[in-house]
Amino acid sequence: MSYYFTILSPTDTPIFNIAFGTSKGGGDGIARFRFPDTAQYMNQFIIHSSLDIVEEAQWTNGGMYLKHVDTYPPAAAYISAFLTPSGARFLLLHQPPQLPNSNTGSLGSSSLLGPGGSTTRASSSSIAANPTSPQTEEAVRQFMNEIYESFVKTAMSPFYKQGMEIRSPVFRTKVTAAGKKWL
Amino acid sequence: MTVYSFYIFDRHAECIYKRRWLPRPTSVGGKPQTQAGLGQTVRAGDDDAKLVFGTVFSLRNMVRKLGGEEDNFVSYTTSQYKLHYYETPTNIKFVMLTDLKSPSMRIALQQIYINLFVEYVVKNPLSPVEHPGGVGVNNELFEGSLEQFVRDQATFR
Amino acid sequence: MSTNKASRIGEEIWKTRVDKVNAELVTLTYGTIVAQLCQDYNSDYQEVNKQLDKMGYNIGMRLIEDFLAKSGVGRCANFRETADMIAKVGFKIFLNVAPTVTNWTSDNNQFSLIFDDNPLADFVELPDDGRAQDELWFSNILCGVLRGSLEMVQVQIEAHFVSDVLRGDDTTEMRVSLVRYIEDEMPPEEE
Repeated sequence: MSYYFTILSPTDTPIFNIAFGTSKGGGDGIARFRFPDTAQYMNQFIIHSSLDIVEEAQWTNGGMYLKHVDTYPPAAAYISAFLTPSGARFLLLHQPPQLPNSNTGSLGSSSLLGPGGSTTRASSSSIAANPTSPQTEEAVRQFMNEIYESFVKTAMSPFYKQGMEIRSPVFRTKVTAAGKKWL
Repeated sequence: MTVYSFYIFDRHAECIYKRRWLPRPTSVGGKPQTQAGLGQTVRAGDDDAKLVFGTVFSLRNMVRKLGGEEDNFVSYTTSQYKLHYYETPTNIKFVMLTDLKSPSMRIALQQIYINLFVEYVVKNPLSPVEHPGGVGVNNELFEGSLEQFVRDQATFR
Repeated sequence: MSTNKASRIGEEIWKTRVDKVNAELVTLTYGTIVAQLCQDYNSDYQEVNKQLDKMGYNIGMRLIEDFLAKSGVGRCANFRETADMIAKVGFKIFLNVAPTVTNWTSDNNQFSLIFDDNPLADFVELPDDGRAQDELWFSNILCGVLRGSLEMVQVQIEAHFVSDVLRGDDTTEMRVSLVRYIEDEMPPEEE
């Protein structure tokens, strides 16, 4: 499973991006998206296209964690969202590895997708294999909560201004650690 | 007990606060000469603060010379009045003149420092830290509380 | 007075005589002041350090009175005792930390305070403009506070930070040096 995580400011400016892979089930923590290297922007496209749905979903749910909100079948990309009370949005795109003979595999014929290269990668944990399973939802919730905590601390730094890009290496380390721990 | 007067000197030997209470008629009754003696000081105007400072300053230095650096004098008595003295480690000196019947006012002076001076003067961000040229403590809360404090002391003893 | 006794005094005053305030309030207030100074002086961090020191100095001159009123301690016998008093009583009652006193010079005139915990710097990450990490001493106000308060008890010192975890150093260390003991001031001569 590969992940792309973005934080959007209340005014829809991306203030933080990170791509990483699963560390569960023997994963090495390196992202292997099915787009060719020249099309990494696809992640951003897909994530931002889910914003409308996030906006709708935020009223249906009292909680900050909105769970899985959107799917982009051509890339087998699943989006989970988390909403802070201040209006920042945490969006996590997860893309399961392309399993041979699976449904997602057949969707891989889209021209946007690169040649399979991830098929050989072993990733058999339940989280990785099934992005909509309750276990995955729970893992993502834990991940989001942990990030939220770090996010609040980062935003408390006197030198950070609301809506500014988060350049803090400490925060990046914490996100990476949370990713390693839960995903 | 009657309190005649009260002085505060800062570390620059400047009198930053001075207050005189004229003896009340009731407590003065038996000792008319006390009033007369103090009356002179009142007439002497500003000089009394300087005299008081000179006295306690010399006395303190002498005491330290004789009794070691840690020694300090608490009060002295004349036939007319009693002078009470308290000095903080920051060299702020509190002096109070009372009549002879008064018990030791050392604790009282310390209380004035802790509860009134620090609370109302030092902690007031708008009050100057230093009082150059003897501007003095000009603080209603402090003066009011001091008035009250001294009155309480006089009543209860 | 021994270090242990100083620790006990500090602990006792902290428990019984100090009004507590929310830590985040202090941290955010101080952080805002520093950030504002950086903005006002266009990230001239030398100047910001100086201003912080000056603010601290003014605080120290008042704070010492509160310290003495609360603690009721008398004059320290020597500079080592002063150091313990600062670390175990002063920092304890005002910030609830007790920095370690260490690295004495042989003449007992210089020591270091090592801060394991610095409540002023919680959440803080220095600006990543490439200079703040080398020039800004975020907690410089503390140097001024020490300088101001000790001056009021006739001890002239010089204090500066030599390392700060915010800059990526392993420890936060302040170096304090005794300059001289100040003589009593005499009243001005009569004209």
